Amino acid sequence: MTARPTSQHTIGPFFPRTFFQPADNDLTRVTAEAAPSTRGERIILRGQVLREGGVPVVNGVLEAWQADAAGRFAHPEDPQAHLADPDFLGWGRAWTDAEGRYVFTTLLPGGYADAMGQRAPHVNLTILGAGLMRRLQTTVFFPDFPALNAADPVLGAVPAPRWPHLVALPDGVAGGNRAFRFDLRLRGEAHEETPFFEV
Amino acid sequence: MSLQIDPWPPGIEPTVPIEGYPNTWTHTPKQPLHHGPVTRTERTAPLRLADKLPCGNDNLAVLGAGRIAQGQLIHIAGRVLDEDGRGIAGAVVELWQANAAGRYFHPIDQRAAPLDPNFIGNGRVRTQDDGRYAFFTIRPGAYPVPVQDIWWRPPHVHFGVHGPATLSRLVTQMYFPGDPLNDLDRILQSVPDAAARGRLIAHPLHPAEVGDQHLGYRFDIVLRGRHATPPA
Repeated sequence: MTARPTSQHTIGPFFPRTFFQPADNDLTRVTAEAAPSTRGERIILRGQVLREGGVPVVNGVLEAWQADAAGRFAHPEDPQAHLADPDFLGWGRAWTDAEGRYVFTTLLPGGYADAMGQRAPHVNLTILGAGLMRRLQTTVFFPDFPALNAADPVLGAVPAPRWPHLVALPDGVAGGNRAFRFDLRLRGEAHEETPFFEV
Repeated sequence: MSLQIDPWPPGIEPTVPIEGYPNTWTHTPKQPLHHGPVTRTERTAPLRLADKLPCGNDNLAVLGAGRIAQGQLIHIAGRVLDEDGRGIAGAVVELWQANAAGRYFHPIDQRAAPLDPNFIGNGRVRTQDDGRYAFFTIRPGAYPVPVQDIWWRPPHVHFGVHGPATLSRLVTQMYFPGDPLNDLDRILQSVPDAAARGRLIAHPLHPAEVGDQHLGYRFDIVLRGRHATPPA
């Protein structure tokens, strides 16, 4: 039997605050109470989400998903799933404040060999918000790995002049951890808009 | 080998931006989306998400002993399916909605409509082995959208579903059959295909099947399942 997929809709402006718990934006913990994973470099990933005209997106929702520090997923699609870090969830959710700012705590992801090519370390981000009838998806790369980034098959699907939008910037140190800044521009001119991928 | 994302079947994805819905004109990307390959990151998702996002809150209509929400009590049940019609076990289903007066329990909603002290309006459950989920709640009210050219949202319930792959993540809304506002809703009507719109409208159960305590609706949700097939 073939079933037609259900249409997407916006989350609207009223995604419940009560859905969020304190550690939801911390990918290093499998539950709010769990001890964070220490198998890797703890980093902060933060930035600002802007819409047309550079206006902050308020109450937008970002969901992050990534491999562990060794490039593994605790999922049957990963042949090395049994070796994945049991204390690392790899998923987190954050919402944007009145200035459009978000923050995640995570571990610097590892790259891995994929059938499509060697993946550079990266974090996938889904963006949901009022006025977004379809969710947006993009990928965050890191400035530590220019050679791996240049060979990444997902980054390679984007014209090179737009690559800088997908590479996070060093953003100092926060709480003893390296911080990276990744700003998103949902709608703008070609030179300012964040590249997004079909989903 | 090359893995690519199947395009959405025609008519299902909303047409954007939407005339009369200003936020779609300021948030929807102008540049074309990039067609990236499907790699392991896209084919996976956290299988233990229910540990992170506690599930089991399936009764929005009763906040505590003797604290029953105002409104028409309803039961919404259905299955989360893949594109082959198979139930998806362990999907996390989030649901949120306005109260019977059409107001959300949310600091952003400051409309002059009453809050219900016995209604928060959100819940989260995990699907059973056959993909089944269920919520007990109240029928939400309609509310106006405060834009220059005002329209009213018909009664609707928001659904967010986390499936077995990040590519299958879905956020949608469920509507009620026969509401005259459905045909005027700029959001529902942005879905071009009438059958696809129809699948966003809950199926009413015969009261004889449901009993005398509440009304019953069925709402099945189909996630993008064949998320990675070799191109023809």
